[in-house]
Amino acid sequence: MAATLPSELSKVDPADAWAAWSPGSGTPWDRKWAAHLFRRAAFGATTAELDKTLADGFALTLARLLNGEPDAAARWEVLAETGRYYKDATQVRAWWLYSMLEGGHPLREKLTLFWHNHFATSLNKVRSPRLMFEQNATLRTHALGRFRPFLLAMSRDPAMLVWLDSNRNVKGAPNENYAREVMELFSLGVGNYTEKDVRAAARAFTGWHHDPEVKAFEYNAGLHDDGPKTLLGVTGALGGDDAVRIACDQPACGRFLAGKLYAFLVSETPPPEGLLDPLAERFRASDYDIAALVKTMLGSRLFFSDHAYRKRVKWPVEYALGALRGLVPGRLPPSDLVEPLSKMGQSLFAPPNVKGWRTGTDWLNSATLLARNNFAEAVAMGSWSKGGSRPTNGLPDAAEVATAEAVVEADIPAPLAPVERIPPQSVPTRGPGGAAVAGPAAVLTAEVAGSAAKPPPAPPPPAPPADRDVLAVVFAGKPATVPAVVRAMGVALFGDAPPPAAAKKIEAYLLDGKKAPAANEMNAPAFRHRAREALHAMMCLPEYQLS
Amino acid sequence: MHNRRDFLSRTLGGSSLLAVGSVVPGFVARTAAAADDAKAKSKDTILVVVELSGGNDGLNTVIPYGDDLYHKARPTLALRKKQVLALDDFHGLHPRMGELKKMYDDKSLAVVQGVGYPNPDRSHFESLDVWQQADPKRGQASGWLARTIPGLPVREAGVPGLYLGENRLPVAFQGADGGAISLADRKSFRLQLTGPDDSKKARKSLIESLNADGGAAGDLAGFVRKRQLQTYTSLQRIEEALKETGTGPDEERRNNQSGGGVEQATLADKLNLIAKLVNKGLGTRLYYAAADGFDTHSRQAESQADLLGQVSQAIGGMFGTLKSGGNDDRVVVMTYSEFGRRVKENGSRGTDHGAAACMFVAGPKVAGGIVGKHPSLSDLTDGDLAYHTDFRRVYATLLDGWLGVESRGVLGDGFEHLPLLKPKA
Repeated sequence: MAATLPSELSKVDPADAWAAWSPGSGTPWDRKWAAHLFRRAAFGATTAELDKTLADGFALTLARLLNGEPDAAARWEVLAETGRYYKDATQVRAWWLYSMLEGGHPLREKLTLFWHNHFATSLNKVRSPRLMFEQNATLRTHALGRFRPFLLAMSRDPAMLVWLDSNRNVKGAPNENYAREVMELFSLGVGNYTEKDVRAAARAFTGWHHDPEVKAFEYNAGLHDDGPKTLLGVTGALGGDDAVRIACDQPACGRFLAGKLYAFLVSETPPPEGLLDPLAERFRASDYDIAALVKTMLGSRLFFSDHAYRKRVKWPVEYALGALRGLVPGRLPPSDLVEPLSKMGQSLFAPPNVKGWRTGTDWLNSATLLARNNFAEAVAMGSWSKGGSRPTNGLPDAAEVATAEAVVEADIPAPLAPVERIPPQSVPTRGPGGAAVAGPAAVLTAEVAGSAAKPPPAPPPPAPPADRDVLAVVFAGKPATVPAVVRAMGVALFGDAPPPAAAKKIEAYLLDGKKAPAANEMNAPAFRHRAREALHAMMCLPEYQLS
Repeated sequence: MHNRRDFLSRTLGGSSLLAVGSVVPGFVARTAAAADDAKAKSKDTILVVVELSGGNDGLNTVIPYGDDLYHKARPTLALRKKQVLALDDFHGLHPRMGELKKMYDDKSLAVVQGVGYPNPDRSHFESLDVWQQADPKRGQASGWLARTIPGLPVREAGVPGLYLGENRLPVAFQGADGGAISLADRKSFRLQLTGPDDSKKARKSLIESLNADGGAAGDLAGFVRKRQLQTYTSLQRIEEALKETGTGPDEERRNNQSGGGVEQATLADKLNLIAKLVNKGLGTRLYYAAADGFDTHSRQAESQADLLGQVSQAIGGMFGTLKSGGNDDRVVVMTYSEFGRRVKENGSRGTDHGAAACMFVAGPKVAGGIVGKHPSLSDLTDGDLAYHTDFRRVYATLLDGWLGVESRGVLGDGFEHLPLLKPKA
């Protein structure tokens, strides 16, 4: 086995690519590679998480990502009990974002997002947040499970049945909507079936309906066409179960799914011929064990190489949650992310069509890139969330309580009823950064002296509340010089120092024409504001747009 | 978390479930040096492409009401002689398309019959790609409008292609490399910067400078840098143009609602904005707008009637606005859909995916009339209408004859023109 993989992807031996990685001299288990893993296998990491993972080592970290936190099941129980009661798209979106952040199993949530895009179903047609929640729970159940039962479950999923007109699919008048997508988009990909197969599959799925109340799957035997059909070379009185089985029996199924997961977890550069073959074969031989495939990918030499590093464009959800986890000390309501995400082109539960979102460089056009710029600015300035800026008298705001309670129906068990506000001061902060951030009063006393000659510059905007101040993370290690501040920003954003040429420009920006800041100047509001501005600018760099 | 109370308070936060974006002053657009040029009207021709997504049922759009086979195949969906807007003693337009009927009577609407391509694909996405890449063999990764842009001289605002719709560009514009932009809602189409004015300027320069650094062509990071810079350039140009366009009270209201604006506008709104942009002298020559909902597998009659009514009104309204600015004869509209629908209706009073269908080409400079005969209802292919006119003949006619862009370069082959345009005066 070569010591390092060839720099040309086409020359990489597939066996080497998928061999288990272990930390070495080229790619040590350091902050850069740990941040890489957490961008792909999770939604980024907090400083504290990266510290812990570096201490724990790679093997333990990968195992924890695959298994989730010990209390993930208990957390999910609470989340599931809450999620089903939402009646509004924003609420169910916020609920899922919250689950991603706090569910204790980020890899499973990440894969749930992948499968949501794979089995893309939209609230815009399904209409019911409850059904979308239930589909989401099904996606989560199977996200790291096995694909056959997964595809069968999705073929009976009420939201899916509504989405692809399954109740219109009846004996004598088949509706091909689901039959086509189950092969084109869910299992095989274009070119691996014929129009005749679509018509046969449609007949096989006749009678696979939802009940009249649109709550559950219902097999309508009277409307099922039990005549003989030939699907993908198999002839018989085939039903929906058979259609799922026959689709999964195709070698194309393993290749198709491995290819999609590769683009999501490893690289969006199209893989050269043969690179994915061992993965696809192993995947099929394991009867489509998704967790095993994911583990192989995330633990591979290829994953810890330049062939994977920054070879994907972040999805908007990754961009937004990564910014929060890496930079925002407080835990703020994810409902504030819903609108920015829609502007970045990703409204959860509403992919544009059954093919899912157009990913990769298609995420970035002038409007969506601008939305990322603007979200980054709001994060850097601490203005993205209204969550911390409420009156601080500690009393619950009647309107807020009413809003929170309106979410839950009357039949929710008692423990939910009293909603007690948490005053912003007591919002738990992450990481060791809290002490480094002076409150507004302390900052004001550290005024800069010696700018008497020039007319006084316009005062910078006030510093954001501590729970939203991105500088907490940057100044946690008490950087004493401007280059050290810029380095700390790079580490906070990318897990690595910025490229030297960029670092020089950012340093110059922070110095604002001076040679070096005076001793206390780095605490002054003007410098702090410039630091936030520089952080915003760095979030508009490819190093931050890419994962 | 660990308890639901905690969960609720953190997830939903304050009363503002949807935090309304704080109004941050946009960057100060530089005064256009070419303010005078913008007023001098360009004579450049403009093409507006309207995508009817989902597969519009051509058979119930331009209706062969004189054919018994039509009435047999459509026991519940057929429209009778009394209902249609008759074009002659065989064809009629759908009754909700009054504005288009008027254009037909004015000889400024061409109905192109039996349009399609060989071995039709009945997948929405595959077929949309075929139409938008203009390549049934799927050898092209870029869109046909993107390939049109390099040959298209554009003056003034300098944005050759503009897409009004959801955030991301359609495949037709794919590969346009900043030649086409998506005009999402106007409010968010602004760079937000907090702080004193001089610091805003400095920060924008910093972002531009950081993204100016090299990066190999074809390299992912290089692409992102380029896209970042293009965004600011496009932004400034459109912002200037939009400012000059002026906003009616309706648009004001829509733009004040979250998620509103162009992204969620109706087809009529989109085409009206296009007309206004044209009237204001924006240099864009390719506009693309989509209307969704034509995938009528069930209960087609009502939904398709509403949709066709919207299409007709939108096109009629756009030409009305254009006329008031003296620009109607500069614009041609072309509608298309990824496929027509099966001749025989299904058991859900709907129709499944089909093949050939009609297209509309409209505008004062269009040679009105029915182009080509209605495809035979007795000689079907797999239950679908067989095409007799390749859609690329329509593209080629408009490229060469209307936009002045050599079609062979865009389409990779020569295609015989159709009589769609009035002879040049």
